[in-house]
Amino acid sequence: MLAELGFSPRRVAINGSLRPPGADGGTAPRPDLAMVLDARGDATPVCTRLREDEDLGGVPIVVSVEPADLELGPEMLEAHELIVAPFTAAELAARIARARRAVHGIAEDEVVRSDRLELNLATYQVTVDGEPVDFTYMEYELLKFLLTHPRRAFSREALLSQVWGYDFYGGARTVDVHVRRVRAKLGSEHATKIKTVRRVGYRWEA
Amino acid sequence: MPTDTDLTLSNRDYVMRTVEERGVRFVRLWFVDVLGMLKSIAIPVTELETVLEDGVGLDGSALEGGARLAERDVIAYPDPRTFQVLPWHPTSIAARMLCDVRLPDGTPFPGDSRHALRRVLTQAAEIGLTMQVGAEIEFFLFEEETDPSKPPVPLDRGTYFDLTPLDDGSDFRRRTIEYLEQMGIPVKASHHEVAPSQHEIKLAHTDALSMADAVTTFKLAVKEVAREQDVFATFMPKPLEHESGSGMHVHLSLFEGERNVFFDPEEGPLSATGRAFLAGVLAHARELTAVTNQWVNSYKRLAGGFEAPEYVSWTRHARSALVRVPSSRPDREAAARIELRSPDSACNPYLCFALVLAAGLRGIERGYQLGGETGDEPLPGARALPEDLREAVTLFESSELVREVLGDRMCDWYVRNKRREWDEYRKTVTEFERSRYLRAL
Repeated sequence: MLAELGFSPRRVAINGSLRPPGADGGTAPRPDLAMVLDARGDATPVCTRLREDEDLGGVPIVVSVEPADLELGPEMLEAHELIVAPFTAAELAARIARARRAVHGIAEDEVVRSDRLELNLATYQVTVDGEPVDFTYMEYELLKFLLTHPRRAFSREALLSQVWGYDFYGGARTVDVHVRRVRAKLGSEHATKIKTVRRVGYRWEA
Repeated sequence: MPTDTDLTLSNRDYVMRTVEERGVRFVRLWFVDVLGMLKSIAIPVTELETVLEDGVGLDGSALEGGARLAERDVIAYPDPRTFQVLPWHPTSIAARMLCDVRLPDGTPFPGDSRHALRRVLTQAAEIGLTMQVGAEIEFFLFEEETDPSKPPVPLDRGTYFDLTPLDDGSDFRRRTIEYLEQMGIPVKASHHEVAPSQHEIKLAHTDALSMADAVTTFKLAVKEVAREQDVFATFMPKPLEHESGSGMHVHLSLFEGERNVFFDPEEGPLSATGRAFLAGVLAHARELTAVTNQWVNSYKRLAGGFEAPEYVSWTRHARSALVRVPSSRPDREAAARIELRSPDSACNPYLCFALVLAAGLRGIERGYQLGGETGDEPLPGARALPEDLREAVTLFESSELVREVLGDRMCDWYVRNKRREWDEYRKTVTEFERSRYLRAL
């Protein structure tokens, strides 16, 4: 059903590593969503582990439960969204959209907005005042990450591993360089929204 | 962590979607020849998906500069990470990607300058080091004039840091900076230079490969703005005999993770590693001059005073040394760097950065000792930089470091180009000769 909605799901066991494997044996890119299935009483500890994981911390969580599981009580609120099985694809899509909006501020139409800046996740396009701004892929990915994790400061290392995902010869300074490029392209008004946090890294000021 | 394959696939997807959303009509595939001259193949977007996958075939002798011998098949693979919509095509939208050039069997083409630089960067990365490069690029603007026998006419009589109305170039610089920023090339500063109609733009530091790409893009952006404004721009190292030439001062620092290894507040102005790196750059400077200063005309800049370096030397305060070690902010880690002052903006930036980094790394690996600092006069026994292209090419050709870094094929192509240039120059009867000899002899 997730595949029908345009996702490429990868399955992990709840008692093993929660980070999904990549196509060629390495680790996969950071997922857009975590869906917890058939976990019963383990759902809450799994949610806690997901939230505390360094790489998966900000990923929206949808927990699928059986009607009987609802009696397990309020700790189920660890999830960003619950869905009671059986459900339809349309309901799942709606629940996923709600979870993503709750976590990242992503609207129904896959657009993230911050004042007059719009970033469209479906088309990769960014506009300021309706005018397109042309980013390279990594600049776009960095802006997307900061914009969808507002008000949280990230270290250069965290951004390197979350956005670039591999350490190439640009090193940690790459992050500074890309931040500078993104700021230059955003123009003065929005450039200041990427705050430099002294001795930490960067933060998107919503 | 995402793997390289995952990233390449999402990069390609990004390129395909952007082309569609932005209505891009043509994509220009860029590569440079061994002299750093930009070449471009335009492909219609209908071909883009295939080209991203399979590359595009071309005659590799196009990369050998002017002095090519035989055709050879090579394949240019666009690097989707360098995809960028070009800001100077407002009506029909075009984009560019820089290419990696390979032989049909998939191995890197020995004449690919980008690959030569990447190879050195990979070696540095293996010992945990990354190089950051900043560049100050100078150029002249002249009135559009089609007759090359007439001397070029500057647009203004402005000088150092002059502002309007003497400086007709401030609009020009503003426009150029807008283009550069739209292309993700942040500018630190720009000002009118010492000579009439001479300008300088400082590019903010970045990793060496991005900077070489940025310098290449920069030169085209400047020429595009010049075309829009009906003037012409030149990166010729010494266009006016009695004025300063145009250089490209290169600022270098080395990082281990987030730590600048040139920084040492106790030892200042450079750490022991920084001193060994600098010693390496100085020890090999003469061998590299054929690349940092690759044209017959480059040596007119080096010979002509105006603070251009003539000797292998370093300094903190003096004016015309080969390397300056800025020391105005000794407490700031980010400011610890060296400034190489010999390169001119008409060099091949890929080969220039590759060789300078390799020379510095050799200094570190072999523990070269840094000699004394120079004052306003060269130290006794200071070695002079090559006086002309011929001398530079001879030093370059016999350099073991150069051969190791660039490979024999690349070296030989380079030398063949430069020898041919020198031979043509040798045969030229100049104004100097006519004015001295025509009547007197």
